[in-house]
Amino acid sequence: MASAERGPSLSSPTPHHHFAADLRTGPLHLQAAFDLSAPWTVLFGPSGSGKSTVLRALSGLFQKASVDFARMSPSGWIAIQGKHHTTPPQKRNLAYAPQGSSLFPHLTVLRNISFATDITRKPSPRTIHEILTLFDLDSLAPRMPRDLSGGERQRVNLARAFAVPEPTLFLLDEPFSGVDRAMRDTLLPRMQQHIAQLGVPVLSVTHDVEEALLLNADVIRIEQGSVKDQGPAARVLAEERAAMLTVLL
Amino acid sequence: MDFAALGLTLRLASLTTLCLLLLATPLAAWIASGHTLSRRIVQAIAALPLVLPPTVLGFYLLVGLGPATALGRALIILSGHPLAFTFWGLLIGSMIYSLPFALQPLIVAFASVDRPTLEVAQVLGASPWTIFRRITLPLSRMSFLTAAVLTFAHTVGEFGVVLMVGGDIPGVTRTLSISIFDQVQELQYSAANRTSAALVALAFIALLFVYGLGRKRPQLV
Repeated sequence: MASAERGPSLSSPTPHHHFAADLRTGPLHLQAAFDLSAPWTVLFGPSGSGKSTVLRALSGLFQKASVDFARMSPSGWIAIQGKHHTTPPQKRNLAYAPQGSSLFPHLTVLRNISFATDITRKPSPRTIHEILTLFDLDSLAPRMPRDLSGGERQRVNLARAFAVPEPTLFLLDEPFSGVDRAMRDTLLPRMQQHIAQLGVPVLSVTHDVEEALLLNADVIRIEQGSVKDQGPAARVLAEERAAMLTVLL
Repeated sequence: MDFAALGLTLRLASLTTLCLLLLATPLAAWIASGHTLSRRIVQAIAALPLVLPPTVLGFYLLVGLGPATALGRALIILSGHPLAFTFWGLLIGSMIYSLPFALQPLIVAFASVDRPTLEVAQVLGASPWTIFRRITLPLSRMSFLTAAVLTFAHTVGEFGVVLMVGGDIPGVTRTLSISIFDQVQELQYSAANRTSAALVALAFIALLFVYGLGRKRPQLV
């Protein structure tokens, strides 16, 4: 199935997504394979290790690269991208929040968030106003992206992904980049609750140890385009956690 | 003032602008969407009217629209008569002559739309056509106005191509610039002056409009 080598063993026996890629982009050679089985999985690693590239590959933005991506359904594995078949990005039903927000500059906050529901004409899992409230964006709804701070833009970016109707997977690239710690601590439980209600898994990217530990997620450690480890955050990030505690104490 | 020529010029410039925007939009979208050799060749061909003498362009159009070429014969069958020295022949000539002025601003506008923004729209469910309609077009609206104003003004001012393809038939192909030429030939300098002054004013207003748009252009995030 995968052209690249399989990743380390799984923390849970029932994977819901499988990914394997062997692709080059710029100086990076991404040669990684893993299964997603936890409700929330974090890709952890230093800058330039290939974390965002994994998300872009999952999104279908490397149509011609060697990528195997499949989703488990009640009837078995469904291929999304592989040797003989590739689903275009717009038909993958992914709730994607890219790094650097990339908001639509000509649309208000409200229209940015309702973009996916507007174009697909499918109802959002929650009304757009509930999503605005979820991310404390009610008062910013009529504003244009150019009038927002970096943290506000990032919240709109997340809200836009959360408003995607009927998603099969959340892909959040550095979801709290630019968001202050207090706001992150407010948003995180709300996001987790929302995602638990939907029953849709999440793959997020971070290089922040504290964030990965807070999420209590399954962690995939990625370095120089390869998977180095996968397992519960407390085990995979034990070394970083100990170093962090030493600094704090 | 030759009002028949003025009416004809405005009709020609409006139709040329409309037809060219319809033609240049998909062409610019295709050229801006990649870096292949075929795109660069088409872009270079489309820019030829910028550097060719208008008489050269007019000469090839005259031959091309006539019965000597397959295209000319097809057009004769479609329209029932040769297109040279008719308004429709003039329209085709104007479209080719002003093509770079419509195409160039649109290529620049389409190519400058932030790629990650287009990518996120696609992953959020937008088809290429939806992305073009909802993201690329609204972000390029100022360039559409620039392209329209430049094409209109350039068509109003054309001379060589009009004379070669259309000749000088009053009410059919005699535009303002040809009218000025005729007035000077007939030593009617004050009439030529009035028409010329009107064209100078029109060109100035068009340029002022374009530069005014540049100042008002919204900051892109």
